[in-house]
Amino acid sequence: MKKIIAVSIIALMAIALVPQLHFAFAQESKTGAKQYINLRAEVWNEFFRMTTAAFTVGAVVSGTMIWLVWRFRESHPKNKTPTRWEGMDDPTTGSYGEGH
Amino acid sequence: MGHDTAEWVFVGIVIAILFYVGVDSWIVQKEVEEVPADAEIVKVYGQQWFWSFEHADGTKEVNTLHLKQGHAYKFEIYGKDVMHSFNIPDYVVFEDVVPGHVNHAWFSPDQTGTFPIQCREYCGLLHYNMRGELVVEADKT
Repeated sequence: MKKIIAVSIIALMAIALVPQLHFAFAQESKTGAKQYINLRAEVWNEFFRMTTAAFTVGAVVSGTMIWLVWRFRESHPKNKTPTRWEGMDDPTTGSYGEGH
Repeated sequence: MGHDTAEWVFVGIVIAILFYVGVDSWIVQKEVEEVPADAEIVKVYGQQWFWSFEHADGTKEVNTLHLKQGHAYKFEIYGKDVMHSFNIPDYVVFEDVVPGHVNHAWFSPDQTGTFPIQCREYCGLLHYNMRGELVVEADKT
């Protein structure tokens, strides 16, 4: 699972960064009429990209929390059997009381 | 799924996205702030409650700024009394006017026409009327 997540993160970074390469070559073109960047377009494009990123972060954070609440609720089928950490008299010492 | 999967997703993906946000913003900011070498300098003076402009050849204008389409212009922005803010909304030019400090902004008008110039920092009683006009003319040369 960790490997899958690591690969996903690297892929996400690559997908995000590869399109930026055009900036490196954008000002190198010397042919044709003089072209300047369109500040309006650049600023609004950045705004929409950042909005997408913000909503994605929001979706991941809230999605993870929703999943946590759903998965670890008492009534979840996987929670029928207590884990070996549950039912301890003093979980900080890791010792079980009598009857366990 | 291990018990730490949620944490990995939570932390890993969010860090990746925030990394992207940082890099992308840095690249765009660098790109936007890079003034073309051939940009013509126009001095902008803000004072209560009007704008005055001085072109590179010494031509002066008050409240109306005439520029040519397709050329790059770098504004040197001076304040004569209180804080103002030089703003051409249609071309996302937006820079504070600070007395005792020279600020800079640049742009290249790509469309001909008349566009509003306004003060975007409350600067006194007639702030609302501190408006100017940008006239972009076709380059006939």
